Amino acid sequence: MAIYHEDEALGKAYDQKLMRRLLKYARPYRSLLAVCIVLLLVITGLDLLQPYLIKVAIDNHMNALTEPMLAFVPGNEPRPGISFDEYVFVREKEIKRDPAPDSGWAGRPIPARIEQNEDAYYLLMQFPGGDITRRELTPTELCIFKEYDTHAVIRLSLILLGALSLAFLLNYIEVYILQYTGLKIVSSMRLDVFQHLQRLSLSFFDKNPTGRLVTRVTNDMDALNEMYTAVLVNLFKDVFLLVGIIIVMLKMNVELALVSFAVLPVIVCVAAVFRKKARDAYRAVRVRLARINAAMAENISGMRIIQIFGREAKKFREFDEINRDYFHAGMQELKVHAIFRPAMDLISSLALALLLWFGGRRVMWGTLEFGMLFAFTNYLQQFFRPINDLTEKYNIMQSAMASAERIFLLLDADEVEPDPVEPVIIPRLKGEIEFQNVWFTYNGEDWVLKDVSFRIEPGETCAFVGATGAGKTSIISLIGRMYEISHGKILIDGVDIRNIPRHELRRHIGVVHQDVFLFTGDIKSNIRLGDLGITDEQVREAACFVNADKFIRELPGEYDAKVKERGATLSSGERQLLAFARALARDPAILVLDEATAHIDTETEALIQDGLAKLVRGRTTLVVAHRLSTIQNADKIIVIHKGRVREIGTHQELLARRGIYYQLYLLQYKEQMGVS
Amino acid sequence: MRQRLQVLDDFFLQYRYRYVIGVIILIVVDALQLVVPRLLGNMTDAFREGALTKQGLLHYIFIIIGVALLVAVGRYFWRIYILGTARLLDYNLRNKFFAHLETLSADFFNRHKTGELMAHATNDIHAVRHAFGSGVTLMVDAVFLSIATVSIMLTTIDTRLVLLGLLPLPFLTLVVIGFSKVIHSRFLKVQEAFAGLTDFVQENLSGIRVVKSFVQEETELARFRQSNEKLVSSNMHLVRIWGLFGPLVQYLAGLSFVIVLGYGGKLVILGDVSLGDFVAFTGYLGMATWPMMAIGWVVNTIQRGMASMDRLNLIFQVKPKITDHEDTVDIPGIEGQIEFRNLTFKYPDAASPALCGITLTIPKGMTLGILGRTGSGKSTLTDLLLRVYDPSPGELWIDGIDITKLPLATLRRDIGYVPQDSFLFSTSIGRNIAFAGDEFSREEVEQAAELAGVRDDIQEFPDGFDTLIGERGVTLSGGQKQRVAIARALIKDPRILILDDCFSAVDTGTEEKILRSLRGIRRGRTTILISHRISTLKEADEIIVLDEGRIIEMGNHESLVAAGGLYAEIHEGQLLEAELNSDKET
Repeated sequence: MAIYHEDEALGKAYDQKLMRRLLKYARPYRSLLAVCIVLLLVITGLDLLQPYLIKVAIDNHMNALTEPMLAFVPGNEPRPGISFDEYVFVREKEIKRDPAPDSGWAGRPIPARIEQNEDAYYLLMQFPGGDITRRELTPTELCIFKEYDTHAVIRLSLILLGALSLAFLLNYIEVYILQYTGLKIVSSMRLDVFQHLQRLSLSFFDKNPTGRLVTRVTNDMDALNEMYTAVLVNLFKDVFLLVGIIIVMLKMNVELALVSFAVLPVIVCVAAVFRKKARDAYRAVRVRLARINAAMAENISGMRIIQIFGREAKKFREFDEINRDYFHAGMQELKVHAIFRPAMDLISSLALALLLWFGGRRVMWGTLEFGMLFAFTNYLQQFFRPINDLTEKYNIMQSAMASAERIFLLLDADEVEPDPVEPVIIPRLKGEIEFQNVWFTYNGEDWVLKDVSFRIEPGETCAFVGATGAGKTSIISLIGRMYEISHGKILIDGVDIRNIPRHELRRHIGVVHQDVFLFTGDIKSNIRLGDLGITDEQVREAACFVNADKFIRELPGEYDAKVKERGATLSSGERQLLAFARALARDPAILVLDEATAHIDTETEALIQDGLAKLVRGRTTLVVAHRLSTIQNADKIIVIHKGRVREIGTHQELLARRGIYYQLYLLQYKEQMGVS
Repeated sequence: MRQRLQVLDDFFLQYRYRYVIGVIILIVVDALQLVVPRLLGNMTDAFREGALTKQGLLHYIFIIIGVALLVAVGRYFWRIYILGTARLLDYNLRNKFFAHLETLSADFFNRHKTGELMAHATNDIHAVRHAFGSGVTLMVDAVFLSIATVSIMLTTIDTRLVLLGLLPLPFLTLVVIGFSKVIHSRFLKVQEAFAGLTDFVQENLSGIRVVKSFVQEETELARFRQSNEKLVSSNMHLVRIWGLFGPLVQYLAGLSFVIVLGYGGKLVILGDVSLGDFVAFTGYLGMATWPMMAIGWVVNTIQRGMASMDRLNLIFQVKPKITDHEDTVDIPGIEGQIEFRNLTFKYPDAASPALCGITLTIPKGMTLGILGRTGSGKSTLTDLLLRVYDPSPGELWIDGIDITKLPLATLRRDIGYVPQDSFLFSTSIGRNIAFAGDEFSREEVEQAAELAGVRDDIQEFPDGFDTLIGERGVTLSGGQKQRVAIARALIKDPRILILDDCFSAVDTGTEEKILRSLRGIRRGRTTILISHRISTLKEADEIIVLDEGRIIEMGNHESLVAAGGLYAEIHEGQLLEAELNSDKET
């Protein structure tokens, strides 16, 4: 299984070359991404505000009644304070600068503070000259002081509410923009890949299984989407948060900050070990899951053989082994996470203990405020979150890089169909076809066509006859230049087809394949096939002309009837008729028919024969022939045997020769002749 | 609920104590975690009162470290006990699923596609595991932590503050429940769009030949763009609500803090609440947001797990159609005499019978040839002989016993079968040949390979008989695969050997050689050769020609050629073909 191999090949999580190519796709969106980053900066700031606000609330208000104050004469206070008696009291710590300059005693602030003794509160004021007044505050008076703080705290909570609301709004906008750009980037990449696929030559598709290519356009792209949206900008978020916390902590208190960072090396080490272990475990789980899927798929498709050979027990043992392997790998992954996550929490608790020990003593000594310590315990918790996040992004990065590598490998596939340097445009093709000593191989080893030469005049009907694998279908593919020939020349109206632009060439060739391929859509669109120059009227005319109109009119919705499951609801005869209409609508000079071998009921068969006769008129027609009637009516029969042209002539001529054609005729057509 | 989990009854019986232990540890861990905020609160008050000594501080710190250690150890163990047991459940359930599949008959596998069954084995089993892993954890957390935090807060901290502070949290639960529903349904839409895109690309790439010959690249690109756009827009539809979820949760949790800061701060200043209680409360609040969200998630996780369990149960409830019954005759083995008595057989869901009025006796030791076009009923005969499908009672007899009364294992043990598609497993070639039993020696394997004419081929591979088949080893040619499949049947030296059209990719020379050695070893044993090639059959003791489910001709090669029927006609055609193919290039 392809998936099996791909999952085993989990590479590195970061590859500069790949990254550079990936970022190229992000370029058109760089302004939106810049907006995201600015938003993230603001959001990070808002996130960091919360512990700070609580710190201010605790230190300046909740725990501040007994803090030293300065009493100002009203009008002199540097900032709003508490009006009491004839003074305005302002807490010392709330004044950033030095108290107001010395301007006479009336202007000079008076140091004051509130003292608590049992249940009584006293206001102490120290006047210049050393006089100290001490008066007891009544509960109502005390309330004036407390009211100042309660108002402040409510104000702070309103600021917090504002910050939260703003963060909420910005967060949503950021997520929205980010997801939008991520999806856009990936969808443009996906478009590129699909466009590239459309330009690759058929030989590429012969070599690469469809399923694998589909995965490139779908699942691999999804992994990239996850990388763009979940990792790339959240990476910024985490880094911003981390840097922000570090800065805030350092600014608030260098010592405490350094104490908090003391665990950082431990975290980095643990995270590094975890990263490796988690990656190994994750890989093991993925590989084993793929193995389970492969075993499941194989055993279900081989169930018949297992049961017939009575090997249920043995196969169960094998499956059990694989399943148990998966279980053990899962347990291993579980253990890695079960150790790492609690370990991270433990480290954060140790950091907390360290902080409390270091800061707690300073609080006791009075050199540190309690609110500051409390804020640090909050920041410490925030500090661990981005670190945890960062380690979790690793797996996503890894699978995204693997996907990117596969996608770029596909984009680098250069088996693009080449177009001529000096194109020759033939406005109206006559339809003369000539093969000159054509040699052709699909794989570079086995010759499918060997030195094939023939000439078909304009308007002629030419039947190709031969056993399965003789090379008939290859000849037909080569006329539309689906593959490149190795030697020789193919000429249409005397021009080497390599000099005709591919699309021009193919527009002149109408193809009716044996298994008619219908696209999802409606009947109309399947006849028109994207050529908007074909009107509804012309679609109808074409269908009428080849006898397809009758059955189409019986469908629900007629020409607008939906084609489901690639036309599975239509009979093979009906699909044939549709294909005729499709070919006719484009009025090609050359018609290529890969005749169906399937049994078709006689009524439809008659319609097909009649439609075909009309279609062929006035066109050069090449048929891979299975029906005797087609062969008998052909102007020319070319007998292909083992990659060579062995006989050319009319039916009667070739029969008379008693060669290969005669034998084939006896083998394949005698039965039909008996019927006709 | 009990009925729903019936399949897992024995599992829960055996392992329920693990869950009990895990849940107990989880609750202990949760309880321990509750200590820390209180501790910090007490410390705060001690600070404020200046009552804290260095000793006291150390005391607090040691408790914090001790609790942290216990919590870390506990967390490891509840993960192992709860999540680990859920993984064990995953393993157990998948084994049961596989074992159950093994009992089901061909009929079942025709109705259920491989992809569908595999989706059950992975996605559904994972969903059940999540319900019993993280689902259980979430449930315990949700119930215990929410009750515990709220009651601790209510008993130790000012009631007004607690009630007001907790006010936004129930909305959190509602948001989680409501959002996960909407998110899930929109996510399904995204998956639908993704599947649509996948289908489109699949269609385009498998029809690339048509796309190119009709110059449809541009049209297809335009259609792809549409599909691609639809994926983007359905994703954006999801993002609109999903992107709201995270910030909204953060916002609601934040609202609690706004209340605590404003109202709680006021109470602290007024002296109604101590600063320590305030600190403890912020800690508890941080803890309470998680279980409130967990309640929302647990509802969805368990709902999804149960829906998956229901889907699995639909499969588990399918009863094996072909088994031994009470009236099964106990016999040590079969001899090889086969008798069809006016057998008519119709596949389930088929409109017309595949076999009609077959009456035929194959004595023990006879080699029977069966000729017929595709769909003439050849393979149906083998399906019935191997009891892949059961015929109506009384229509097919082996050794004079109705086949439906033969023990299934004995019957299949004594029949050797080479399938048309020569299905091989992706193990080594040797193990494929020895597939039928556990104790075949290397000599036996090599001998069987020799008889099947594939020994020389195998010995040319890099690892000989140990060469792996498939992507990780060699790719066998069609003929080699067929011959390995023949060796796999021959190694059993079975009483009845059925070769179902298994020479189609083997060249005529090799085929003749194999048939010759078969004639030697199959003397006295029943052999059935099915083919559309006369050369395979012409030496058979008796040949029947099947057409549209009926025997239309019967006899040996000479008599059939002389009769001038379908057999003779096919014979003539194949002679011509042989002549044409031997025609040398000039």
